[in-house]
Amino acid sequence: MINRILFLANLLLIGTLSFLRLEEKPEDPELTRIIRDIKKQGKKADTALLGALNIKVRAIWTNRCFQCHSSEKRKGMLALDTYEAVLAGGEEGPVLVPGNASKSEMIRRLRLPRSNREAMPKKGQALSPEQVKAIETWIDFGAYWKDSAVQLFYEAPLSLEKPIFPEYDGGHSHPVDRFTASYFKTYKIKWPKSLSDAEFLRKVHLDITGLLPSPDSLAAFLANEDPDKRNHIINRLLADQENYALHWLSFWNDLLRNDYSGTGFITGGRKQISSWLYSSLYEDSSYTRMVKSLVNPHPASEGFIAGIQWRGEVNSSQRVEMQAAQNISQSLLGTNLKCASCHNSFVNNLSLAQSYGFASVFSKLPLEMYRCDVATGTIAEPAFIYPQLGPITADSLPDRLVQLAEVMTSAQNGRLYRTLVNRIWARLMGRGIVGKVDDMDQKPWSQELLDYLAADFVEKGTGLKDLIRLITSSKIYQSRSIDYGSEEEIRNSDFIFRGPAKKRIQAEQMADILSEVIQPVYSGVSFDPGAYHVPAAWIWYPEKEFDRIVLPRPDTVYFRKILNLPAMARAELLVTADDEYELFINGKPVTSGKDYRYFQPVDPGEALIKGKNCIAVKAINKGYLANPAGLLFHMRIHLPDKDTLQIYSDTSWLVSKTVSGESWKQVKYKDRDWVKIHRYGRYSSSHWGMLRHFNFDAKEQPPFSRASLVSADPFLKALGRPTRENVTTARSQEAGLLQAIALQNDPLLHQRVREGSANWVNKYQGKESDMIDRLYLHLLGRIPSAKEKTKLMEYYKGHPGKESVADIIWALLMSPEFQMI
Amino acid sequence: MELTRREFIGKMRLATLAGLSTGVSGLPFLAGCKTGRHSLPSTADSVILLWMAGGMAHTETFDPKKYSPFVKGMDSASVFSTFPSIPTRLDGIRFSEGLERIADTMHLGTLIRSYRAADLGFILHTRHQYHWHTCYPPPQSIQPPHIGAWIAKELGPKQEVMPAFIDIGQRFTVGEGEELKAFHSAGFLGSEFGPFSIPDPVNGLESISPPAGMDLAHFERRQKLYRELVKAGPLANAHEYQQESLMRSMERSYALLKSPEAKAFDLHEEPKEIYDQYNTGRFGLGCLMARRLVERGARFISVTTEYEPFLGWDTHENGHTRALEMKKQVDQPIHQLITELHERGLLDRTLVILASEFSRDMLIEGRPDQKVLDQVDVPEKVEELVHYGMHRHFTEGCSMIFWGGGVKKGQVIGETAPERPFSAITEPIVIDQVHQSIYHALGISPDTHYEVEGRPVYTTPDGQGKYIRELFS
Repeated sequence: MINRILFLANLLLIGTLSFLRLEEKPEDPELTRIIRDIKKQGKKADTALLGALNIKVRAIWTNRCFQCHSSEKRKGMLALDTYEAVLAGGEEGPVLVPGNASKSEMIRRLRLPRSNREAMPKKGQALSPEQVKAIETWIDFGAYWKDSAVQLFYEAPLSLEKPIFPEYDGGHSHPVDRFTASYFKTYKIKWPKSLSDAEFLRKVHLDITGLLPSPDSLAAFLANEDPDKRNHIINRLLADQENYALHWLSFWNDLLRNDYSGTGFITGGRKQISSWLYSSLYEDSSYTRMVKSLVNPHPASEGFIAGIQWRGEVNSSQRVEMQAAQNISQSLLGTNLKCASCHNSFVNNLSLAQSYGFASVFSKLPLEMYRCDVATGTIAEPAFIYPQLGPITADSLPDRLVQLAEVMTSAQNGRLYRTLVNRIWARLMGRGIVGKVDDMDQKPWSQELLDYLAADFVEKGTGLKDLIRLITSSKIYQSRSIDYGSEEEIRNSDFIFRGPAKKRIQAEQMADILSEVIQPVYSGVSFDPGAYHVPAAWIWYPEKEFDRIVLPRPDTVYFRKILNLPAMARAELLVTADDEYELFINGKPVTSGKDYRYFQPVDPGEALIKGKNCIAVKAINKGYLANPAGLLFHMRIHLPDKDTLQIYSDTSWLVSKTVSGESWKQVKYKDRDWVKIHRYGRYSSSHWGMLRHFNFDAKEQPPFSRASLVSADPFLKALGRPTRENVTTARSQEAGLLQAIALQNDPLLHQRVREGSANWVNKYQGKESDMIDRLYLHLLGRIPSAKEKTKLMEYYKGHPGKESVADIIWALLMSPEFQMI
Repeated sequence: MELTRREFIGKMRLATLAGLSTGVSGLPFLAGCKTGRHSLPSTADSVILLWMAGGMAHTETFDPKKYSPFVKGMDSASVFSTFPSIPTRLDGIRFSEGLERIADTMHLGTLIRSYRAADLGFILHTRHQYHWHTCYPPPQSIQPPHIGAWIAKELGPKQEVMPAFIDIGQRFTVGEGEELKAFHSAGFLGSEFGPFSIPDPVNGLESISPPAGMDLAHFERRQKLYRELVKAGPLANAHEYQQESLMRSMERSYALLKSPEAKAFDLHEEPKEIYDQYNTGRFGLGCLMARRLVERGARFISVTTEYEPFLGWDTHENGHTRALEMKKQVDQPIHQLITELHERGLLDRTLVILASEFSRDMLIEGRPDQKVLDQVDVPEKVEELVHYGMHRHFTEGCSMIFWGGGVKKGQVIGETAPERPFSAITEPIVIDQVHQSIYHALGISPDTHYEVEGRPVYTTPDGQGKYIRELFS
C-alpha cells in the first residue's frame, strides 16, 4: 500500500504586524477627489458632487452598518437605508445635525476608541479615517440626499459592442497588441522583452496542453525558419484534442465545482458532470452550448445546478436551488450572490428578493424567502438577476430552464462573455483584465481590450480554442513576464498592466511532467474518458469488528476459486493485488506481483485444464494499521467456436486467513470453513482508481494517466489542488512551508523520482553528461551552462549512481526556473 | 514620513525575506483586520484537544445516573446507566466506573455537564463533527477553517520549527473519509494552516523526516546541490517575489526536517516506564506525543480515539461492553498527560479539552420529541447484552472537561436531569461559547475575521458566543 499520509501545517513567524498596513482596505481615490473638490468649491459645491458623496456615504453604511441598522433590523431603533430613517435617528434621538458634523452623534460614535462600549461600528474594524471624513464632509455640507432609487454600487454595463481599434501605431497589427500598445502609450510603459523561441515553446505547451515539449520537438522548432512557426505550433497544440481536454479539465472542474470524490456522493446527494465536461472540451463545444447545457441540463450535465445535498437540515441559504443560483452567478456571471442569499447584499446591489427569485427558477415549488434563516412569509417570484435581459415567466421548471438558457446566452448579455474571456485571459496571462475574476463590477485595466475580446468571442461563435488562439498568438502573451513585486500589487484595483505576470506551475502540471519525463505517477484514474469498465471487484477477506466490515488488517490471506471449463482454444489473465500476491492454478505457480500498479496479461498455459480447475492466490496486506487491500482478477478464455468465457474476482470466490500445507491450491481441499469474500470496491473503486491498463485490448493505453483524472491526494493538495466543495476560481500561487515539506519528503514524489532515476541511469550508462543535457532540455528547454554542468558532474562523481541522479532530478523540479511559467 | 510606493514595496520585500508570511499566503482575496488582536492577555499558549470521536455517552462517563445492572428481560426504559459510579476529587461529583484515573485529576480542571450539541436535523456524526471543529454547520458557501487552523494562522507555532497544528490518530481511508477531510482543513485561510496529520503516533517520526531511506548526510548534500544550482542558473540575480517565496520555504522545510525539534515525534525517545503508562493503544500513545509536542512548541494538537463509522465510541450495539473498552483506552493516558503537564509546570499555560460531538442515550434519538429516521432498534426488553448500552444519538446534554490554560480548578458547570431525557437543565453551553472560550484563553479576540468574497468571516458565525466567564479563574 502506498503510504501517502502527508497533511502538513505552516510554520509562521509572528512578524511585526504594526508594519503590515497592507491589510487595510485600499483608499478610494474617487472618494478622495470628491471630498477635495467639494471642499474647494465650498458653499458653491454643486449637487452633482454632493450627490456623488452621498452615494459613497450610503455605500459605506451598506457595507459596514446595515448588518444592524437597516429597515430589516433596527438596532437602537436606527435604520440608515432611507432618508426619513436617517433623519429620524434612533431611540436616543437624531444621529446627525445637517450642517454640523461635530455636533452629530454618529460622528461622535465613529470617532470613539474601539474599547469604548459606544464605539461604532460595533463589529469588525473601525471605519477608515477617510470614510469618517467622507461622512463628516457630507454632514457638514448639508447631508444632501440623492434620489432614493439609485444603485449604490457600481455595476458594469451588460451590453456589449466591439470597440473601434485605436490608431495603428505602425508596429502592432494583432488586435490584442493594438489595444495593449495604445494602453502602454497612455501609461508610458515600455513593451516587455519578447520570449525566446525556447521560452515561448515551453510556455505555450504548458498553457495549452499542460505538458512540456520534448527535446526533439524543441530542436526542430529552433531549427525551423518559417516565420509563421509560432502560429503553427499554437494550432497544432489546439488540435491535440485529448491533451487539450485533459489539461483544461482541471480549470473547468475548479470553476464548475466538479470532482470525482468529496462530500455528498456517499448519499447520492451529488452528481458528477465529468463525462459531459470532457466531451465538451474534447469536441471544442462552443461556450454558448456549454452554458445552455449547464443551465438547462440533460442528465450528464445536471450535476452543476443540482448542487451538493447534505443530509439533515440545511440553512435555507444553502438549499440546492440557492446553490445553483450562487454558483451560476459566481462562475458564469462574475457576481457574488452569496451575501444576498441571507439578506440584502452589503457589497453589491443584489437583494434577498433577487437571490430567492433566481433560486426559484431552479425550484419545482415556490420558495419562501428566509432572512438570516428566519422565514419572512414572502414567496419569491422567479426572475433572472438581470431582468432587463428578459423575463422568466414559464410555469414549469423545465420550461423556465429553457427560458433561462436563452436569456443567459443572449448576445445582450455581455456580462456572460466578459466573465469568461476574463477568466481565460487570467489563466494565460497571470492576472485578469478585471483582477477579481469573480467580481466583474470591478474596474478592468482596459475596458476596450476586455470588450474587444468578449465581442470578438461572440462574433466568432464563442469557441474557446479560438479565444485561446487569439490570446496566445499576440506579442504581449509572447513576452517576458513582469515582476509585479507582490500579490498585493497584482490584486490592487489601481493595477497598471505592464506585461504577463509570472505563473506558478500547477499541481497537475507538476504531476504530469513528472509522469512523462521521470516516472508515471498515477496508474489509476477516478474518471476514465474511455469509460472502460470491467465487472471485476477488488476482493479481500471480510475483516469485521462488532459484526461490521472494517478496513483489512495487515495480514496474509488465501483465496480459492473453482472453475469447470470446457475445451479451450487459449486463455489469458490479468491479475493484481494490493499489496503482494502469488497466483497458482491447480498448484502450479503462474504469476506474482509486489506492486499493484504493475501487471501484464499472462498466458496460464498448460496450468489451465479442461474440467475442474482451482485458482488459488496468496495475498499480503502490508502496513502498520488496517488499510485498504484487495485482489483484482480477470481471465478471458477463448473457446474453439470463437466465444469467450469471462472469469472475474467476484462474490463466488472464497477466502481464509489460515491454510495447512499446500493442498489448498488444489481442487480437492476441505474449504468448508472458508468464507465468502467481501467486495471492498468495484473496478471503479475510488481508492485505487480505475487501472485503465487492466484491459486485454489496451494496445493504445497512454503510458501514464494525467493528474486531472485522479481524485485529490495529499501530493496534489499540497501543490494547490482545491477541494471542490465550493467553486474555486483562483489557486494560490505562493509557495509555503506546507508545500515545501511535501516537496522535500512526500513518499509518492520520492518513490517516483527514485524509480525514474534508475531508468535514466540505465538508459545513459556511462554517458552521464548526455543524460544531464537531456534532462535540462526536457525540463527547462535548454542545456546546462558550463558552470552548472561542472557542479552536476562533480555531484554525480561524488556518489555515482541512481541516488545522485534522483537528487539532480529533484533539484531541477524544485528550481524556480522550472516552477515558474 | 510617507513612503513612496517603490520604497514601500522595497520594505515589504525585506520584510517578506525576514520571514513574514502572515496574510500573504493563503487565498489571494484574503484581507482582514489585525490591529490590536495580539495585545489581548492570554492564559494559555497551547491547546490539546482530546477528541472522543463517535458520540461519547455522558451517562456512561462523566455524568452517571442511576445504575441498573444487566438482568435478562429488564425494561429498556429502566436503564439509565450501565455502570455504577465512583467518587472523584470533587465533593459530591461522581464519575462512571472505569474513569478512576481521570476522576483523580478533577481538582485541576472544570467539568462541564451541560453542553448542548446543535440541532442540525438528523444527528449525523461527520456533520456534527464538522460543526464542532469549525463552528459552522455544513454546507457553507465558503470553506470554514478548523479551529486548529484559525489558531495556527493567528498565533503560529510557539517554536519556529514546529508545525503549529497537528492532528493525531485519524485515518482518512475509513468510511466517511471525504466528510472527515472536509473539516480537517484550513478552508479559506489557505492550506498552509491545515493540519499536519499523524494517523499512527508510533510511526509519527516518518512524516517529519527526510524521505524514507535518505540519511542526514544525503539530505544535506541534496539541499546544498539545490542551492548551488539556483545560484549558478539564469535566475540567480532575479529578486522576484514568487521565487523568493519558494526558496525561503524550501530552506525552512529543510531546517525543520533535520532539526532536533523533529525528535519530538519520536516516541521511542521516551523512557520505557513513562511510555508504558501511556500505552493503552493508539490513543494513549497519541497523548504521549501530544505532551512531547507541547514541550517542543506546537500550538494546537488534536488527539482522537478515531472516528470510523460504528467503531470506537460510536456504539450502535454492545454499548456497555464497548464503553468499558473505550474507558480503558482513555482513562490512564489522560491521567498521565494531565499529571505530567502539571508536574512539569506546563499545565498552567496549556489548555486541555476533552469533548465529543454529541452524547448517547438508550431510548431517545435527538431531541426528546423528535421523530428521526434510521434509528437504532431498541427492544422494549433487554434480553441480550448486545442491547444493553447507549445506542442512540443524543444532543441535549453532553459532558466536556477543561484543564489548565487558566481554567478554574475543581469546579463543575451545569447539570443534566436525573430522569430521562438527560438533558442539560442548568447553564446550557453551545459550541460558539466553547470556541470563544478557547480563543479567549489564547488571547485571540472575538473580533478576529477575514474578508472572504466581500463577507467578513469571524472565528465563530458572526463572532457570536460569549466566552464562558466561570470557566476561568
